[in-house]
Amino acid sequence: MSTYDLNFARWVYENVDGGDKMALCMQCGTCSGSCPLGAQMDYGPRKLFMMVRAGLKDKVLESNTLWNCVSCYNCVVRCPRQVPVKYVLHSLGTAAVRAGIPAATKSDNARFARAFWWSASKLGRTDERIVTALFYFSYGLSKGFKMAMANLPVALGLVKTKRMHIGAPYMCKNKGELKTILAKAAEIEARHAK
Amino acid sequence: MTKTMNYYPGCSSQGSGIHLDTSLKAVMGKFGISFREIEDWNCCGASVGHICQGHLPVAALSARNLAAAAAAGPEDVVSPCAACYLNTHHTNEEIRNNPEMKAEINEALGAVGKSYDGSLKVRHVCEVLVKDVGVEALKSKVTKPLTGLKVAGWVGCQTVRPFANTEAGGQWETYDEPSFLDDFINASGATAVPFKAKTKCCGGSVAVMSPDKTLELIKDILDEVKASGAQVVATPCPLCLTNMEMYQPEINKRYGTDFNFPVVFYSQLLALAFGMDAHKDAGLHQGLIPADVVVAAAK
Repeated sequence: MSTYDLNFARWVYENVDGGDKMALCMQCGTCSGSCPLGAQMDYGPRKLFMMVRAGLKDKVLESNTLWNCVSCYNCVVRCPRQVPVKYVLHSLGTAAVRAGIPAATKSDNARFARAFWWSASKLGRTDERIVTALFYFSYGLSKGFKMAMANLPVALGLVKTKRMHIGAPYMCKNKGELKTILAKAAEIEARHAK
Repeated sequence: MTKTMNYYPGCSSQGSGIHLDTSLKAVMGKFGISFREIEDWNCCGASVGHICQGHLPVAALSARNLAAAAAAGPEDVVSPCAACYLNTHHTNEEIRNNPEMKAEINEALGAVGKSYDGSLKVRHVCEVLVKDVGVEALKSKVTKPLTGLKVAGWVGCQTVRPFANTEAGGQWETYDEPSFLDDFINASGATAVPFKAKTKCCGGSVAVMSPDKTLELIKDILDEVKASGAQVVATPCPLCLTNMEMYQPEINKRYGTDFNFPVVFYSQLLALAFGMDAHKDAGLHQGLIPADVVVAAAK
């Protein structure tokens, strides 16, 4: 039994990146047909957009479609109506995380994004060692250890070829400045979310 | 003639894509182009930063870099990394075209007394090689052509999508059939073989976090490499390179294949063909799958 939220489409049009262009979608399916991981999605972007229009809020925000976008931008450049499909999907994913939908907050993508953001915002740089370690251990100690061990040969290969350094991470010098800018940006972002 | 450009190397230049940075600087030096690194640059947010943060904090990352670049000089900002270029260019365009975004980004920068007005141009290094340097000039510097080496030119996604064919993006390439990479390969004296998976996606960051979803994508590309008769794959993208290198053993295990293709950056081929040191300048000892076949081709 599906529930319909008749205000959902309007909310998406007004609050999601590229949402203002979604009304232009003519359901041609070029996006779904162009998508590298379309076959693994619960619904392709075309169908998902129709579900947004129909007000199927829960199904949209719980769908794995939001987490199978690989950011290849095929859909963005091919859409005959210039709907920025990739941006819409990622922004819907952000909305699902903010709404606390378990399928979203526990997705690989959200875990990876949290690990990534820690490195990017705290250090000012992506440290590939720290991001992957934080990501692996977000699944708990034992699974994290297993994942880390499975990737050990690659890490050792990168160390051996001097593409992964040993020692303290590279960082921005002025981390305080970055922190202040990001805090202000988050504050402005929160203004919108209300 | 020397020319300075604002250079945004990106995080991979200190990690898995370090040999792109090394070889590119060596190549650019041959044309009198020097890269002035953006002072204290930070990460661009790549393709996942916004997922838990939203749009503006990620845009603020690029804005801080752009403000620092503008303070250093009005020269174009160039990046060799697909994601760095995409994010920086995207934010720059938002600042130029969206007054509300411009105000909000500057409000964030204003918290530390900085600002940025969208005055710079953000370009991919490959566009600079195509337009400012030119393929003929590349050929003219070749002293050790890589004759006989068969290379599959794999462009990937974000180097050309979604901006290479837009007005603001410089209209320097097409989205589905870009020719610049084959031109660079052929300029080095090697042969760019016809390659059907030229702009196919490796899975990007999803390949790093959920390889079960994306191994098949990389396997399909490797199938095309094999069918093309290429000995080596060349790409402009640091994430494409690392994904294709690191997942070949797993793909072989899962699909019963025997792939062992070295993956290199176009700039490594050029540096080598320009007669520069295969290791120190071209970084050709830094592949997870050894690229001896490339080094041996330089004569």
